[in-house]
Amino acid sequence: MTKILSQIWVVIVMNITSIGQRIWMSLAAIFAVAVVVAVLLSFLAMTEGFSKTLEGSGSNTVAIVTRSGSQSELNSVLSRETINIVTTAPGIAKDANGDPIYSPELYVIVDGIKKTSGTEVNLPMRGISSVGFELRDQVSITSGRMFETGKNEIIVGEGVLREFAGFELGTTVRFGKTEWEVVGTFSTGGNAFESELWADAPTLQSQFQRGSSFQTIRVLLETPDDVSGMAEMVENDPRLFLDVVTEADYFAQQGEALNGIVIFGWIISIFMSVGALAGALNTMYTSVANRAGEIATLRAIGFSNTSAFFGTLAESIVLSVIGGFVGAMASYLFMDGLSASTLGASFTQVVFKFELTTDLFINGAFLALGIGLIGGIFPAARAARLPVIVAFRGAN
Amino acid sequence: MNGVLTLLKWVFRIITAPVWVPFWILWKLGEVTGLNAVIEAIAMSTGFYVVYKNLTRKPLRLSLTMLAIFVAFTIYGTLTAFQNAFDAGVELSADDRLVSVNKINFTQPLPISYVNRVRPMEGVASVTHLNWFGGYYQDPQNVIVTFAVDEGSFFDVYGEDLVMSEEAKAAWLGNRQGLIVGESIARLNGWEVGQRIPLNSNIFSQQDGSSDWDFDIVGIYTGSDPQIDTNSIYFHYKYFNETQSFGGNFIGFMAIKTEDPDLNEAVIKQVDDLFANSPFETETVPEKVFNKGFIEQIGNIRLILSSVVLAAFFIILVIVGNSMVLAVRERTSEIGVLKTLGFTSPRIFRMVLGESFLLSIMSGSLGMLAAMGMIGVVNNAPIQLPTLIMTPDLAIEAFTYMALLGFITGIIPAVNALRLNIITALSRN
Repeated sequence: MTKILSQIWVVIVMNITSIGQRIWMSLAAIFAVAVVVAVLLSFLAMTEGFSKTLEGSGSNTVAIVTRSGSQSELNSVLSRETINIVTTAPGIAKDANGDPIYSPELYVIVDGIKKTSGTEVNLPMRGISSVGFELRDQVSITSGRMFETGKNEIIVGEGVLREFAGFELGTTVRFGKTEWEVVGTFSTGGNAFESELWADAPTLQSQFQRGSSFQTIRVLLETPDDVSGMAEMVENDPRLFLDVVTEADYFAQQGEALNGIVIFGWIISIFMSVGALAGALNTMYTSVANRAGEIATLRAIGFSNTSAFFGTLAESIVLSVIGGFVGAMASYLFMDGLSASTLGASFTQVVFKFELTTDLFINGAFLALGIGLIGGIFPAARAARLPVIVAFRGAN
Repeated sequence: MNGVLTLLKWVFRIITAPVWVPFWILWKLGEVTGLNAVIEAIAMSTGFYVVYKNLTRKPLRLSLTMLAIFVAFTIYGTLTAFQNAFDAGVELSADDRLVSVNKINFTQPLPISYVNRVRPMEGVASVTHLNWFGGYYQDPQNVIVTFAVDEGSFFDVYGEDLVMSEEAKAAWLGNRQGLIVGESIARLNGWEVGQRIPLNSNIFSQQDGSSDWDFDIVGIYTGSDPQIDTNSIYFHYKYFNETQSFGGNFIGFMAIKTEDPDLNEAVIKQVDDLFANSPFETETVPEKVFNKGFIEQIGNIRLILSSVVLAAFFIILVIVGNSMVLAVRERTSEIGVLKTLGFTSPRIFRMVLGESFLLSIMSGSLGMLAAMGMIGVVNNAPIQLPTLIMTPDLAIEAFTYMALLGFITGIIPAVNALRLNIITALSRN
């Protein structure tokens, strides 16, 4: 057994050190695998970044109340009366005075200019209160100050500043007939709220002719993840047509919007792998043909055909692993942290960053190994079955 | 060990069957009809035979290289058809149609009274209004592009793109709950004229609090061009306005047909000036501009698709280029012999280049055929997508790329062969 292993080892080392003799063919195989892995990882990094951004937005200590069936904040409408009723529900955390902690919010869409394309895009403008501000995790004003109530002032998320033009601190923006001054910028730790513009809710109501209606309410829960008290009240009160979910659940569902891209990315990559596989097979068959004399010599001095088999297989796997590594590095260098934006479930731009996580690298590694394995096994079998005499003849 | 390998070999053969089966059938047919012999005779007299023989001397390498090219062109054909379908939304928009939306954003409403103020304007042929309904059918995930429209003027503005029989139009006008549906969406959901269906809205609710509306399907419209999207459905604004519970007498946007595209600028100015400084200012743009902006909101699809195609082409460029160089290098001494026999260098140059062209065009064409198959599959798949089409332009473009690939991969070995000195060639081994 140890004899076979040492034989295999010798052949593997021999094959790999002789890659230099077949350098162009080998580089072609490496390159093909690298491109396929880079394409796959780029698609995966895009969807990962998008869903992480949305999942990171939701807190499990906050519940979000929308009109039944509305699917997104944009489509929801809540009257003042509804809000007054639902905020008396059990399960809502109370402040020092014993009043429920909740934030009625407005969600309207305004135009912004996307820097990369120069075209108009939908940006979400949220009317909130200081309670609403506090309900966001990791929220902080990064420059300027908070808007004042009753004034046409907005604060803008850092994602908006990154992707869209015209919202720098101190500028005045026009939405239709109304003018707003940018008085501050804020961060929420990279999640979807950073793609928003925030203003004082009552001011937004009056400037956008919304009367006293809101779109959603966020409430602080007594017990994290427990919306049963509110859900029960909504179900039993015939005046209420509402959906109550934790913010975490709400955003987790929105984060699935790009999942189709994952499937598309895999289909494309697997299809391209067939092309790369053809390259790998070509390289390895050529390698076996070139080494026919060598293989025959080894066989003649007593090496087993198993060693010829594994030597060739190992060469193929080494090439594709190098290719996979190069592809992964390339997509890491060019894609990781890349900022982009797309249309989210609320029909507004969601700013996100491509994110290459360890899990995704594993996907890339599997793809590269798969190509190396299949691309090596047939040529390896040919090497193993090469009749000694024919090989000697072929070598001359 | 051998049993496993034979099995793997068969698996590989079956997986790659789409590539080799058509060839095999063609060859068999040629054998049976005697066509192969005729082709052979012609090929012999033109020198094509030598090129062909050179190409096929290593069948394994040939089929692998062909497979790589085949895959790249399948990807190219399919993704470019996708790209064209996205572009069609912009390219097919009518030049004489304007879209007038709320200046803040197109999701903000406009008062319905605006329509009657725009209608008599100079240069305006007709005007209609549409309101996004947020419709879905049965499952909230099954969102359908649904608009409440002014049924009287709808076809005045969109009649050149959306085609429906006069009887169906009359039936639609006469039925308050009448719904007209596009050919694609009707096929997708199995809808037929005469059917009564419920639709839900994720925005609006009825006065009794429920969110479902009943409709009678009275007509199925088709597109005047196969690439016009027919996934939308339209119903009467009056039915919508009377039953919904909030925000009455508002519309989503106006669609204006001008008397001549040259009058667009004048009409845009008139409309936007009229409503300037009102609480509902308008922004009027040609439909083309509006559609382009809308698609760009999703992101740079063109960049993503073309990067993938570029990556696929890069792979084959390297693989095919390499195997061509290798194939010719292996033949060094043969080329020496040919030159000794009196074959001129330019002729050998043409032979090598011809080989790479033949390889590239044969496998590329097969790839494009497979792309047509993929397009057929996508068009019949139960998902809402615009219709994909393999246009003649796309086919021509593909042949250009095949020729380019043949040239780039063949030129280096061809030049090498051209320059090859007989003495070095024959003494190399």
